[in-house]
Amino acid sequence: MSAVDLARLQFASTTSFHFLFVLLTLGLVTLLVVMQTRFTITGAAVHERMTRFWGRIYVINYALGIVTGIVMEFQFGLNWSGLATYAGDVFGAPLAMETLVAFFLESTFLGLWIFGWGRLNRWLHLALLYLTALTAFASAFWIMAANGFLQNPVGYRVDGNVLRLDDFGALLTNPAFTSALTHVVFAAITAGGVFMTGISAYHFIKRTPEVDFFRRSLRMGVVTTALATPALIGAGFAQFPVIARYQPDKTEAAPWIGAPLGFMILIGMGLTMISWLTLPLLVKDAVIRMRFPLYLMVIGIPFPFVAAIFGWMFREIGRQPWLIYGLLRTEDAVSHVDASQILLSLVVFTFLFLALACVDWALIARAVRRGPDVAPAPVSPMVVTL
Amino acid sequence: METLWLTVLGVLTVGYFALAGFDYGSGLLLALPRRYVSSHRKRDETYRLVTPFFLGNEVWLVAAIGVLFAAFPRLEGELLSGAHSTFTLLLAGLVLFMAAVQLRLWWWLVFTGALMVSVGWGLFLAHLLHAPWPVALVMPVLFAVHGWVFQTRRWKLFPVTALLCALPIPLAFSSIDVTGLMAHDDTLGLLAWVAVPIIPLVVLAQWSIVAISSR
Repeated sequence: MSAVDLARLQFASTTSFHFLFVLLTLGLVTLLVVMQTRFTITGAAVHERMTRFWGRIYVINYALGIVTGIVMEFQFGLNWSGLATYAGDVFGAPLAMETLVAFFLESTFLGLWIFGWGRLNRWLHLALLYLTALTAFASAFWIMAANGFLQNPVGYRVDGNVLRLDDFGALLTNPAFTSALTHVVFAAITAGGVFMTGISAYHFIKRTPEVDFFRRSLRMGVVTTALATPALIGAGFAQFPVIARYQPDKTEAAPWIGAPLGFMILIGMGLTMISWLTLPLLVKDAVIRMRFPLYLMVIGIPFPFVAAIFGWMFREIGRQPWLIYGLLRTEDAVSHVDASQILLSLVVFTFLFLALACVDWALIARAVRRGPDVAPAPVSPMVVTL
Repeated sequence: METLWLTVLGVLTVGYFALAGFDYGSGLLLALPRRYVSSHRKRDETYRLVTPFFLGNEVWLVAAIGVLFAAFPRLEGELLSGAHSTFTLLLAGLVLFMAAVQLRLWWWLVFTGALMVSVGWGLFLAHLLHAPWPVALVMPVLFAVHGWVFQTRRWKLFPVTALLCALPIPLAFSSIDVTGLMAHDDTLGLLAWVAVPIIPLVVLAQWSIVAISSR
């Protein structure tokens, strides 16, 4: 394989792993906001316990996902130096906004939220979670703005052999950005809803004594999925006219590219239908007493994640052979680095991320099996003390 | 603009190394028999002390690389890809260190992660200075000393060792002539409005984390 192929494979692998963590982070933080708001207003213990239990899973996932993001960011410079050289002035602006406005602040607010448990005024503590969620979504906003520029470059002028930033506002009203952002945000909320539904169902299968706790969680998961999926599908289909206009050859970029797209749509439609069929069954907990749907809910957990990876494959592979559509070819952007060096980093990071994903899964599974606390325990970033 | 952005980059880099130095240093000290790290005997205590700082340091690194990309686009790619395998070592160490500390895996895994990161920064320092590779050992030694000062709570020495960890890379970096490698003023002006107010905000918030958690 050439350096370009290896670098592309590495980018695909890093992005996919990173995105799995991101989806769950964004989905869970949205649900946490609802739970903690209810706790802060009502003061009811069940909402506090829910915030703790789901918050712990959120923190585990965030803490391990953070490192995939670091590698992701370095990768632009390591393997794709041609991108910064040519378009750093334009593409770099939203990327730097993401690291400064979003990630830098998000981690700090989250740190305050974690260490502030029981030590801060509860309204202040709630405000910290709102800020964490807000900056998490700001992260998605800037990353999608940067990606939108690669799909449909706007707001630049050519100056010699580099691009200059001409109109920052154009980057933010880019049609390749706006509809995709809505799509990604609702995909994350769907992933959170399906995850919460599945975990709660697992506890009912195991005949949990925490009936009230998981009943509320299961309802919240189902309702969230039912509300998010129509918006998700709407924002998905809204992208086809945009694609037809700006990337007419997208569906011909690879002969098999229609397959992931088809599977993604199928999963999205399936989740919408199932969640809406489940809604009436929430009455008098019919869905829990029937038991059979509980197994389907557990099996359903990976589907939003698989669909999300398929969606990215369509969006990113469909852009080829361009890195910046119509302006910079992928093969011209790759760093002048020996293929063997890229191979080494590909092998090392794929192995490490695979291990990290397994560890994430194992730790979340352990936290799930332990169930909610009977006695209050601290929510700590050090996973082992959780 | 040039001075402003070199200052921003410098502050972020110094912030990272000052915060991360005792993290990695504490990891390196795990290899020593406990009695040399005098004030406490158990490894758990080592981990407990670094906890409040744990999520705090890597964000400075991420912010620094973000600024490097946007403000110095013609430099970022050449700088990173020019030391490709060094960064593979460093980042692999970072992943290993963060995962191993959080999971409290075997101490030698934490140690290996810390060693990979610090030797990685050392190799990068040698690369920047065009110096022979043994220069790389400077960074693990400085980190270990800083970690020892932190673990034994010698707070008077702490600012000194923090500076010793923080300065080598920015100083070596300052030998690079950035003329013509920076972004256009249109990009820089826009980003300045964001970068300048955010840094003090993060410092304040991170200081609060440490203050709250030691209460």
